[in-house]
Amino acid sequence: MVVSVGGVPVGAEPAPKGRTRGGPAQGTRRDVLRGLFVPAVALALAPVVAASRPLHDEPRPGDTAFEETYRGRHIVGFRTAAAHVSERDIHWEVTVDGRPLHLMRRADGTWLSMVDHYRSYPTPLAAARAAVDELGPGEQLRDLAPGPMSGGKMHMGGEHGVHA
Amino acid sequence: MAYTRKDVSTLTAAEKKRFVKAMLEVKKRGEYDEFVRTHIEYYTADGEDGLRAAHMTPSFLPWHRRFLLELEKALRRVDSSVTVPYWDWTRNRTATSAPWTKDLLGGNGRRSDHQVTTGPFAYGTGNWTIKEGVTDGEFLTRDLGRARDPMALPTKSELESALAEPVYDFSPWDSTLTKGFRNRLEGWGTGHGTVSWRNHNRVHRWVGGVMLGGASVNDPVFWLHHAFVDLQWSRWQSRHRGARYLPATPPGPASPQHGQIIARREKMPPWDVTPESLEDVSRIYRYA
Repeated sequence: MVVSVGGVPVGAEPAPKGRTRGGPAQGTRRDVLRGLFVPAVALALAPVVAASRPLHDEPRPGDTAFEETYRGRHIVGFRTAAAHVSERDIHWEVTVDGRPLHLMRRADGTWLSMVDHYRSYPTPLAAARAAVDELGPGEQLRDLAPGPMSGGKMHMGGEHGVHA
Repeated sequence: MAYTRKDVSTLTAAEKKRFVKAMLEVKKRGEYDEFVRTHIEYYTADGEDGLRAAHMTPSFLPWHRRFLLELEKALRRVDSSVTVPYWDWTRNRTATSAPWTKDLLGGNGRRSDHQVTTGPFAYGTGNWTIKEGVTDGEFLTRDLGRARDPMALPTKSELESALAEPVYDFSPWDSTLTKGFRNRLEGWGTGHGTVSWRNHNRVHRWVGGVMLGGASVNDPVFWLHHAFVDLQWSRWQSRHRGARYLPATPPGPASPQHGQIIARREKMPPWDVTPESLEDVSRIYRYA
């Protein structure tokens, strides 16, 4: 259930946000335990699960994060969701020069970014580097769509979900 | 009376002019940016939770069929003679062939920042400013053939490998399948590098620039590409008589795909039409 970030420079400080946004770690342990015993079928009904746990759990020891400068761009990534549930519920927040890069996951566990939507990459870092490859000089990401990191994955019905 | 969608390489000068004019008008009216937003909004990947209407899903074809019909409706409100042409990328394979001409979509992006500077959709014209983009870039970008690591468009035989599939789609109805017409055409492969892009996906990559991202609709070639993809669905139906859209019925509550995909008679957002209602569109349009 741990996403491999093979070959990634690990051990960079997770951005402070990841530690503080969840506030006090209340319920985290309990959620971990609950998560461990949730049957697979219930995990498929993720909205229920998502609603019942904090969006930003404290990273656990051993959690991976990355921070690097790639082709002059500052890439930072850290896990934001609890590590206790299925792989489907592992979320990453990745930024490029401080702007959020929206990532999505494929069923095979690989990652796509908003910049590069028609292929996927083995890790969030690889997806982030591929996105940087596509940015022109001085071009910056725009925060377009609420992604898994903000808890909003479904934008059905709403006609105004994605204003830039 | 059904109208005709033509091969873009056969359009007359007048037809090209009218198509371009209608596109620019739809953009001017603000309608075009709604299409860009809709496409972003309905891109749910198959490793996420939630209904997948547009990609990595059986309804990839009917969803885009309806999406094209909506754009075509908007174009035809401007000029009732206009239809969406298709780009046969198995034949028009270079960065200078149709549709990349000055009188239609304009050419490749320039080297420094991939900005398209030729044709009616160049930023400099003032008529095609990107408002709903993945980045803050306001100009259309292209990197035809991916200059830094050149690649080719999908070949006829790659397309044939999709058309030869006798079954529309299979469980688990996602991007991990190695068989079935829909995913072979949509083009989610396994492995890394260029082998992982096929057919539909590979074309998005080959065009590059904005066509690569969630806001790919910002490049007008999106429609010409998807018209050709749509044509493949009709060709596949003719070849495999009686083959239908699948799944016919929704996966049961025990299936991980329950509530995530759209069965033949289920309603497809945002239009609330069924895939079944889009299987036969011969009364609306045909391909020449």
